[in-house]
Amino acid sequence: MTDAGFTVDVIGGVPVVRAPEDVDIVNADGLRAALAHAAGLQAPHGALVVDMARTEFCDTAGLHALVAAHKRARTGGGQLLLVIGGAAVVRVFSITGLDRVIPHVTSLEQALERIGVAKGG
Amino acid sequence: MTTCPPNGAGEVTAPVDPVPVEDRLRAIQSITDAALSRLSDHALLDELLDRTREALQADTAAVLLLDSPSGQLIATAAAGLEEEVSQGVRVPVGRGFAGKIAAERRPVILEDVSHSDVLNPILRTKGIHSMVGVPMVAGDRVIGVLHIGSLTHREFTGEDVELLQLAADRAAVAVQSIAAQANRVAAEALQRSLVPSALPAVPGAELAGRYIPGSGSVGGDWYDVFTLSTGELCVVTGDVAGSGLPAAVIMGRMRSALRAYALESRDPGEVLARLDRKMQHFEPEALATVLYAIIDPALDRMQVASAGHPPPAMACPGQPAELIDIVNGPMIGISSGAQRPLNTVKIPPGALLCFYTDGLVERRGEPIDVGMARLCRALAAELPDAACAAVMGALVGSEPARDDIALLILRRQPTGC
Repeated sequence: MTDAGFTVDVIGGVPVVRAPEDVDIVNADGLRAALAHAAGLQAPHGALVVDMARTEFCDTAGLHALVAAHKRARTGGGQLLLVIGGAAVVRVFSITGLDRVIPHVTSLEQALERIGVAKGG
Repeated sequence: MTTCPPNGAGEVTAPVDPVPVEDRLRAIQSITDAALSRLSDHALLDELLDRTREALQADTAAVLLLDSPSGQLIATAAAGLEEEVSQGVRVPVGRGFAGKIAAERRPVILEDVSHSDVLNPILRTKGIHSMVGVPMVAGDRVIGVLHIGSLTHREFTGEDVELLQLAADRAAVAVQSIAAQANRVAAEALQRSLVPSALPAVPGAELAGRYIPGSGSVGGDWYDVFTLSTGELCVVTGDVAGSGLPAAVIMGRMRSALRAYALESRDPGEVLARLDRKMQHFEPEALATVLYAIIDPALDRMQVASAGHPPPAMACPGQPAELIDIVNGPMIGISSGAQRPLNTVKIPPGALLCFYTDGLVERRGEPIDVGMARLCRALAAELPDAACAAVMGALVGSEPARDDIALLILRRQPTGC
């Protein structure tokens, strides 16, 4: 599925949402749709990965969608794991304190490893 | 003179003459007439209903709009059926004639109203015999229902339904425009009342503020300045995620709740914790950054806590401005029991403090630090109004802002340096 630059794949049973370079008010609805779609593919109490390794800009609208998905995952006994790498995005997560609330790693490989998905699985 | 529609089953119906092609075209023309666009949206809806009734030789026409929070359709405009509107008819989605159209997103024809599942008693008392209704769709959402009725028995044709759908599509555009306009006006009024350009007079301090709506529509940014009975001066800047009326409404609630908690606690972190608890309980979807500072009556010291808000900047006389190094806590609305550390900042005489929301410094394609550095370069310990002008000139220029910008500048008077 592709919508507003977001794709959803399932890797080793774990839904992975890949975000484009910019995540902002223009495509935040696309992110919400992708997150909802991915949540539907998520195993009970399982994980959901949002890969923002490519993302260079994320505004409040993007954060809002991520926080909503994080809360939904937690309420359902699962977890949302973020991949963030771009300096600008890391900085925004640090200022807003989201880096202390939403678990995050710096690469998709690390994310899958943490969840326990075998490489290439 | 009595005839059946082309696809009729041969039963005798009320006299509805077959409509020649040119009349049909004229009917379509009357509904899609560009001149309609020149009417105000409310007048357009009324005129459209009149024309629909005429084009389809119907006795009544009405628009019911969906009220999303209640899941009910509310009669909003009518021709020949004004009682529906004046009596505020409401129909739950999924029930009755209009409710079924909205729920199933498809046209529904009722040839005999008296033998059908109609909820609205006005339709019966009015003596309506046959009805057809279609959904009004905007984007991928049903926003309402348009229906017409006949006081005599009538079998509506596929062409009738198509023409009615054309009118419904036109009405949907008008309704969207009415709703957008109403929201914009309400949000602007709310912003104006809650983010006042006139700031309180504070002995020993000078203040100036600016609020710029993003992309022409207001959002959830605000600043607030008030004093406590102890003589302390309180400064708030905040940014609610989202835009338009929903964000402005949440902003209003947060502003008011924070003022109330400010009277109860002198610890900025505690005030933010109470605000967070209140928001997570009553507005669980809301997300916001808030910075709250309490400045001593002598204006020489500020205690500040931040819920994920960008740090203020300070310019001291004769020195370049710098960001104030404060330790942030998480945004409002993301985690229960979050703590925000207390930061204490000394304010030298003549120093200027700059509080702002991210719209001022955040630009696509560059880290937020670049915008913050630009802010510091533009800022000097001068009169707050001049400082506001310099900052807006350097960071916004003539480019319309994409996001809201709230800017509040406070200077401790240089007397006594």
